[in-house]
Amino acid sequence: MNRTRWMATAAAAAVAALALAGCSGGSGSDSDSKSTSAPTLDPDKKVTITFLEAMASGSLKTELEKITKEFEEDNPNITVELQAQPDYNTLKTKIDAAVSAGNAPTIAQVYGEWAAAYADAQVLEPLTAYAADNPSATDGLYKGIKNSLYIDKTLYMWPFNASAVAMFYNPEMLKAAGQDVPTTWSEFAKVAKAVSKDGVVALPMDPGSSSGPAGGTTVFELIAEAYGTPVFADDGTPQLDSKAAVKALNYLVDLKKAGALQTGTNYPGETALGAEKGAFDISTTTSVYYDQEAVGDKFEMGIAPVPGADDGTRINQINGTNVAMFSGATDDQKAAAWKYMQFLTEAETQSEWAQATGYLPVNPATLKLDDMKDYIEKNPYVTFASEDLADSSALPPYAWVQDGLGDLGAALQSALAGNATPEEALKSAQEKAEKAMAADQ
Amino acid sequence: MARRNRPGRIVLGIVALIVGLAFLAPLLWVLVTSLSSRGEVYRFPPSFWPDWHWSNYSQAWAAAPWIRYFLNTVFIGACTVALVLGTSVLAGFAFARMRFAGRNVLFVIVLAVMMVPQTVLIIPNYVIASRLHLLDTYLIQILPFGASVFGIFLLRQFFLSIPTEIFDAAQLDGAGPVRMAFQIAGPLARPSLILVGLNTFMGAWNSFVWPYIMTTKDSIRPIEVGLNSFYGVNGTDWTTLSAAVVFTTIPIVVLFLFLQKYFVTGLYSTQGAVR
Amino acid sequence: MRATRRGTLRSPVAYLFVLPALLIFLLFSIGPTVYTFALSFFKWNKLNPALSTYIGLQNYETVFTGQGDPSFWSTVGISLYFVVGMVVVGTAAGLVIALLLQRGSRLLSAVRTMVFLPHVTPLVATSLVWVWIFNPQFGLANLVVHATGHANIDWLGDSDWAMPAVLVYSLWHELGFVSIVFLGGLTTVSGELSEAAKLDGANAWQEFWYVTFPQLRPVLALVLLVESVTSLQAFTQFFVMTGGGPGYATATLGFQLYQQAFVFSNTGYAAALAVVLFLVTAALSILQLRLQGGGFPSFRSLLLRPRQLRKARTT
Repeated sequence: MNRTRWMATAAAAAVAALALAGCSGGSGSDSDSKSTSAPTLDPDKKVTITFLEAMASGSLKTELEKITKEFEEDNPNITVELQAQPDYNTLKTKIDAAVSAGNAPTIAQVYGEWAAAYADAQVLEPLTAYAADNPSATDGLYKGIKNSLYIDKTLYMWPFNASAVAMFYNPEMLKAAGQDVPTTWSEFAKVAKAVSKDGVVALPMDPGSSSGPAGGTTVFELIAEAYGTPVFADDGTPQLDSKAAVKALNYLVDLKKAGALQTGTNYPGETALGAEKGAFDISTTTSVYYDQEAVGDKFEMGIAPVPGADDGTRINQINGTNVAMFSGATDDQKAAAWKYMQFLTEAETQSEWAQATGYLPVNPATLKLDDMKDYIEKNPYVTFASEDLADSSALPPYAWVQDGLGDLGAALQSALAGNATPEEALKSAQEKAEKAMAADQ
Repeated sequence: MARRNRPGRIVLGIVALIVGLAFLAPLLWVLVTSLSSRGEVYRFPPSFWPDWHWSNYSQAWAAAPWIRYFLNTVFIGACTVALVLGTSVLAGFAFARMRFAGRNVLFVIVLAVMMVPQTVLIIPNYVIASRLHLLDTYLIQILPFGASVFGIFLLRQFFLSIPTEIFDAAQLDGAGPVRMAFQIAGPLARPSLILVGLNTFMGAWNSFVWPYIMTTKDSIRPIEVGLNSFYGVNGTDWTTLSAAVVFTTIPIVVLFLFLQKYFVTGLYSTQGAVR
Repeated sequence: MRATRRGTLRSPVAYLFVLPALLIFLLFSIGPTVYTFALSFFKWNKLNPALSTYIGLQNYETVFTGQGDPSFWSTVGISLYFVVGMVVVGTAAGLVIALLLQRGSRLLSAVRTMVFLPHVTPLVATSLVWVWIFNPQFGLANLVVHATGHANIDWLGDSDWAMPAVLVYSLWHELGFVSIVFLGGLTTVSGELSEAAKLDGANAWQEFWYVTFPQLRPVLALVLLVESVTSLQAFTQFFVMTGGGPGYATATLGFQLYQQAFVFSNTGYAAALAVVLFLVTAALSILQLRLQGGGFPSFRSLLLRPRQLRKARTT
C-alpha cells in the first residue's frame, strides 16, 4: 500500500519536473495567441521559416521548390526552409515529435483531423485575425474548401494542395469486353466483373491499415456516401456500421470474390494499370502523372469522373491537405509564414502548381487565367474534377477521426481478406472509433 | 569419420548446397529484378533472366543523394565503433579485473539495459535530444550507441579468461590499471574487439528507427533512412527500388565477405561468453 | 592501489573506467526508462505536456482488462505466435543447419557464407525485398505456390498468411546467426566422448542426443535467450512489411508500442505497454537462465568467473 503510494508520488514528481522543463520553451506563446491582431511583417528584417511537408517526389518536389524560390525572390528577406518527408505517415510522426519536443516547425501540411489534435493541445495559431485583413482571399475559395479550414468556427488552416477523386482506366480493356465507362457504382461493378479475366483484376486498391487510411479507404467512403450515409457525420460522429457502410463493404467483398478486386499496398492500382493487369485505378487527381508514367505509351489512358450514386448524384470528397501555423513561432516568423501561405493560394501560384502536379486549384479564379484555360483544354479532367471539388466537403476535422480511419482501414483489410464479415468488421471498427471519440472529448 | 562413405558425403554436399541456394535466392532475385525493365517485371510467372536494364541503376542513383547517405553512414559507424571499443575495454576490464564496491550491482544494471524495449524509449529520448539541442546532428546518431552491453559483456568474459599471471607480472612491473587495460588486455582481446567493432558497424548501417525520428535533414541521414524515403517516394517502381536495395546493401555484404573470418573466429574465441 | 587477490586491482580508478559506459546508459536508456515508467501513470498529452493528467493505474487497467485497441491480450497472443515461431523453428533449424555444415570442406564453408549472408543485410532493405517476393500478383512466393497447383495467395494482405510470411522473412534473416553460434559451440564438443560413444555402439542419433546435445546446452541457453528477446522486441520488419495489418493480424507488442505512441498518440498507454514488455523480457530472461538446468544454474552465475562456473556445471 504505502509502497504504491510512494511510487505514484515519486512518479508524479518526476513527471511534473520534466513537464515543467518541457513546456518552458513554448508556454509563453499560448497566452498571447489570443490577441486580436495579427503580427505585421517588418520588411527590413531577415526571417527564416520552416515548412514541414510531404512533397518529396517527382514534380511535386521540384514544383514546390520552384514556387518557393519565386516567393523568396519577391521577398528577399524571407527564407523558406522546406523539409520534405517521404509520405504522410512520416510527416505526422515528424510533426508530433517536433511539437512534443517544443521545436515545432513554423508551418506544416496537415489534414483536418491532425490539426484538430494540435488545436486541442493549444499549439496551433488561430488564423482568424490574419485572414480578417483580406477577406476576399477567404471568400474566393471553393465553399467546401473554405469550410474545411475551420475547427469549432476558428480558422486554423489555409488551403494548399487540394484534389478530388477520379477514375483512371484502360479504355482498350473496356472496349475488348464491350463495356462503356461506368458512371455509377452499380455500373462499375458490372464492368469490373466483365473485364476481370486472363490475369486482369479490374480494381487493385490499398484498403489502408490500422496505421492510417489509403486510397481504398477513400473508395469505400465514397461508396458508403453514395449509398446514403457518410462514414463520419459533420460533427465527427463515426457512422462506420451504418446500413450504407455495410452495403458498401459487401459491395467490395463481392467484387473481391468475383476476382474483380485485389488488395495491395503502395498504390497497387497504378502498378497494375501500368502492367496492364488492372483496368481501373480509382485515386486522387494527383495520380495523373504517376499513372501516366506507369502506363507510358502502352495505351491511351482514360480519365473519367469517379462513379456516383445510382440515382445520378455526384459524390466526391475533397482530398489533400491544408497548411497550419504553430503558435511557438516568433511574430516575425508568423507574419512571414502568413505571407507565404497567401502566396500559395494566389491564382497565379495555384495555376502553376496545378499544371505541374495534378492538384486542383483551390479557388475558381484560377480557372479563368489564360494559361490555365489552355491547360484545361488539353486536360479536360480538370473541369469535371473541379466541379466535383466545388460541391464536395472534406472529412470533418476532429482528432478522433484519425483513430477512426485507422480502425476503418483495419476493418476493410479483415473483411476483404475474408477473416470477418463486413457487419462484424465494421461493428468492431465503430466501437473502437466511438471509444476514441469518447476519450478525446 | 572414417565411417562416412563417399556417396554419403555427396548427398550431404548436395543437401547443403540446396540449403545455401535457398538462402541466397531472395538476394539473387532482387538482383534480377534490378536489371529488368518494368514490362519484364510485372509479369506472372516471373522471368528469372534479366534483360540487362542497367538504366534502373542510373535512375535510382540520380533520384537521391546516395553518396551523402553513404558518407554519413560510414562516418557515424566509424565514430560509434571507436567509442564502443573504448567504453567496452574500460568497463569490461573494470568488471573483470578490478574490485570496487557495487561492482555486481552495476554489472546487473548493465545487463538489464539489454532488456529495455528500445522503440518506446524514443519518445523520452527525443525530448532529451531536443533539450540538449542534439536533434538533426551526427552526435545524436553516435553517442547513444557509444556503449554496448554486448561489448562490455564479451570483453569482460574475455578478460576473465586471460591467465592472471600476465596481470600479476605487469603489476610487478608497476603497470597501472590504464596501462593494463589498454596495453596488455586490449591487444590480447583483438578477435573480440574486431567482433564487437563489426557488430557495431553493422548496427550503424542497419540503424533505422532512431535516425528516422531524430533527424529531418537529408544531409546528415544514414543509408537505411534514405532507402526508406526512397521507398516511400518511389515504392511503386520495383525495378529502380531493387536497384537501390542492391547498391545500398552491397558495401556491407562486401565488408562481411572480407572480414567473415574474424566474425567466425571472434565468436569462437569468445566461447568464454558463449559458454 | 593494492592487490587483494591475484590479478585483481582494488582502485577507485575502476569507477572512472565504468563511468563513460554508465553515463551513456544513464542518459539514453535508464533515465528514459524511469521517465517512461512515470508516463505510464498519466493520460499524457505529448503535444502539450501541461495538459496531461495523473490517472494512477488506469493505463495498466486498460492494458490488463484488454480495453486497448487492439486488446492487449490479442497483442500478446500475436507476439507469442511470432516469438514461439522464431525460437522453436529458429533454434531447431539453426541446429540442423549447423550439424549439416559442421564438417569443414570447401563447399560447406561456402554454404556457411551463403547462410550467414542474409544476417548481415540491413532489415529495411531486405524487408523491402521480401515485400516484393510476397507481392500477390507478380511475386516469387506465389510462383512456388503456383507450382503446387494452388491459387495465388495475397501473403501480406491475408490475416492467415501475413504472420507466416513475416516469420519466413525473419527466419531467413536470423538463421545464419543462430547456426553460426551453434557451429561455434560444436567446435568445443569433445571428440573423445563421441568416439567413446561410437565404440559403445551408439548410432548417430544416440550419439547426438546423449553426447553432443548435452554439451551444447550453454550455447542453447544463449540462443534461446537472444532469440526470444530480439523477437519479442522486433519492430522494423513489421513496420516495413505489414504495418501491423491486415486488421491487427501482425500487431505484436513491440509494434504496438510504436503504433500507440506515435500513430495514435496514446503515450501513457504506450508507456504502460512498454513497462509490461520490459518486465516480461526481464522475467523471461531470468526464467530461461534458471531453467537451463545443469549448464546455467542461475542468473547469478553470469557474475561468477569461468572457473567457478565450470565447477558449478560439473556438480
